[in-house]
Amino acid sequence: MIKGRLLAALIFAVTVLLVVVGTRWPIPSAAAYAGGEQVVRTASTPEAAVNNLCEKIRSHAWDDAYNSLADKARFSALDFQHDLVGTYPGLLTYSNLDSFEMQPLHASASEAEIRLRLKWATVVGPSVVTRQLRVVRDGDRWQVEWPIASQPPLAPQVIPVNYLRWDVIDRGAGDDWGMQNVDAPHVRIVDMHPVQRAEGTVILGELLNDDIYPAYVSVTATLLRKDQTAIASEGSFDKISHVLLPKQVTPFLIQFPDVTLADVGSVRMTPFSSLIATSADPVIEIQGQHMSPAPDASLSGQLVNQSGQVANIAHVLATFYDQTGQVVWVADQYVDRALLPQTPSPFNIHIPEDLARKIASERTVVASYSFRGAES
Amino acid sequence: MSRHLMIHCIAFGLSACLAAAQPALRVEPAQPQGSQALAEQTRSGVISDYLSAWQSMGSALEQNRPELLDRDFVGSAKDELSSTIAQQASLGMRSRYRDDAHDIRFVFYSPDGLSIELTDDAEYEFQVYARDKLQAAQRMHARYVVILTPGAARWSVRVLQASPQE
Amino acid sequence: MRRGFLFLMTGFALTIANLALAQEQSITVPKSIEAGSAFSVQCAGSGEGTLYIVGPGQVLRRQVQRGATATFPAGSLTHAGRYLAILSPSQSPPDAGSNPVSSFDVVPAAQPAKMSFLARPSRLPVDIHNAITGAVYLFDAYQNLILTPLPVSFELTNPSGAVQKRSVVTRDGAAWTAMDSSAHEGTDRFIATTGEVSSTRAVVQVTGDACNLRMNVAPADGKLLVQTDPVRDCSGNAVPDGTIVTFTEAIHDEKTTVDVPLKRGIAKVEMPAVRDATLTVASGVSLGNQVRWEK
Repeated sequence: MIKGRLLAALIFAVTVLLVVVGTRWPIPSAAAYAGGEQVVRTASTPEAAVNNLCEKIRSHAWDDAYNSLADKARFSALDFQHDLVGTYPGLLTYSNLDSFEMQPLHASASEAEIRLRLKWATVVGPSVVTRQLRVVRDGDRWQVEWPIASQPPLAPQVIPVNYLRWDVIDRGAGDDWGMQNVDAPHVRIVDMHPVQRAEGTVILGELLNDDIYPAYVSVTATLLRKDQTAIASEGSFDKISHVLLPKQVTPFLIQFPDVTLADVGSVRMTPFSSLIATSADPVIEIQGQHMSPAPDASLSGQLVNQSGQVANIAHVLATFYDQTGQVVWVADQYVDRALLPQTPSPFNIHIPEDLARKIASERTVVASYSFRGAES
Repeated sequence: MSRHLMIHCIAFGLSACLAAAQPALRVEPAQPQGSQALAEQTRSGVISDYLSAWQSMGSALEQNRPELLDRDFVGSAKDELSSTIAQQASLGMRSRYRDDAHDIRFVFYSPDGLSIELTDDAEYEFQVYARDKLQAAQRMHARYVVILTPGAARWSVRVLQASPQE
Repeated sequence: MRRGFLFLMTGFALTIANLALAQEQSITVPKSIEAGSAFSVQCAGSGEGTLYIVGPGQVLRRQVQRGATATFPAGSLTHAGRYLAILSPSQSPPDAGSNPVSSFDVVPAAQPAKMSFLARPSRLPVDIHNAITGAVYLFDAYQNLILTPLPVSFELTNPSGAVQKRSVVTRDGAAWTAMDSSAHEGTDRFIATTGEVSSTRAVVQVTGDACNLRMNVAPADGKLLVQTDPVRDCSGNAVPDGTIVTFTEAIHDEKTTVDVPLKRGIAKVEMPAVRDATLTVASGVSLGNQVRWEK
């Protein structure tokens, strides 16, 4: 009994001691995460200078980060901030720097070159930005030269757009039950193909809006055992373009982690569609689509916003087919910056190594979202 | 032996009670007017949901609980019954419907499949209570015209209207 | 024997007395009342009492003087159905068997005030026989289904003004019809009318897929202006605006694609001007012509 009380008193005393120590002398990273000061060290090495810069970016201390640069005279603090998170609201505007990696490429007594990978945490997952930095020595400290990539300003102009938009009038709240809503758009699954991957079973396919009105679409797949009992049910979530204009096709990918294809007897597909108020713009061109073979197989290209409206978020979805025209993979990428009118914006979609050899052709579509308008 | 006999007697008594609780049902086999035939599955679903609606109505009016109507009634039928329950409650009244027999005839199945109309020559016991005292008990025989519309999982009564016997 | 006769006579006398009492306390209600109209209930007997009118659609209570007539103004009973009128004495505790009771019907008003018009489908391909259906239920001003036969007129008018007409008489409150979809695309007006009441629905006639899709290519400010001819289906109807047309420009192992919605019947876009590029056009399952740019 006495021993127990002694132990309790001891635990209490140690806890109090640790709280006091942690508060009085916190470790730098904890302080940074708690919103306190950044983990800034003396910039006595090139790596320390880059580390300091990244910590300032992580805590959104844009002016501090800008003031630490060696070549700040070349551009303004606002240019620097826009280079990092975009001039117009985009995916990076609402993200945080999650982590960063440095890869020293070259070093001498007066300068060094470092490849920096900034990993941003966005609402749709991580977005990695790579920059090659030159770090120069100034006395006993090192300073980063930022490779500013400012976007050329758009020439003042008027871009005529024949605006096409659909609005939907639903039945009111009253109980005139004879007044039914307009029928939901007719959509059709034109291809569906389950594949086994290391991470589980994946359902690939394509969905067509076979109607004359835009449709908000999604697809749910239910895997059934041979005795027709359900194994699992999943939706396409963001591996689909949710808004389809008439006769537009979207790929979809539905993942079932930890399900083996051999256990699946059949698949029940349930497409969903509803009418949506949307516009036919902006039109986005996908220029210079090029497939690079394995290793590092990828599909790259550039998005060009052909309208005069800024597209804040762009989602590129690529469907890959084999020689028989069957879908073998669906991959996607969010473009982390807003698409400005007439301004090319690159994308690069990774293709799994083992599938790259099977791919004979591809089809790419873009879904975009403008903050002042609807998705299209 | 005597225990077995007792169990059999109880079981028989219960089944007799349950059978007595079920109203007698007759359904005319004729197809209703409309462009499409009424499938047997739809027919039996509608009948089952309609009889269930009578049970809900009976319970709701007897207990003055409008929420009991939610499953089986929509639209004007639900509004009317809910308003009756509110009136009963404010006057300290309640009423009891016990349906004894239904003679159902499907009269119209709308071409879009979005409504079914039927008539029901219903026999039921109707009791009225005020301040928990029985005011009247009457056997009723009325021809009901009923419109049902499909919901997510069942048919709901949208119109329930007694009309003078033809 | 004498005792038995006495019992019989006593029973007979009690029955006569009960009948007389019932006669004295009876209530008289019209057999049938039109919804919303005024009515009156005659309560025989003497003293005060409570009159209940109870049905699934409404409940009324009124203090009455026996021997007088209780009048109910217009709008008192509005819901059609079978009702019970019960006269309960104010004093003695009621006995279920002794309260005078009378049943009566409230019937819908004769004049329709509202209709529920179910029209299907909201859009369909052109030129299909009996594919558009309309069903109507007629109600009076109090939402009661009108069961007396009434004529209903259905009219389907296409954008060019051509009209299909049907006249149908309701049975048990319902009427329905079926009509053909128009030969041309556009939005038809489907109107159901009875008396002063009418209801309108929009029915869109939809064309088929694009047919004989053709594009033209011309240089424009260092780029290529690619534009389709007006896009029509195989019957010559214009494919609706918004329909996606996909242009593809391929050269060696690179390609450029763009999904363009039809606007005012055509799709047009600017694409890079690349020598020896091959341009193709497609919409849905329809493939169009192919152009090789050699300049």
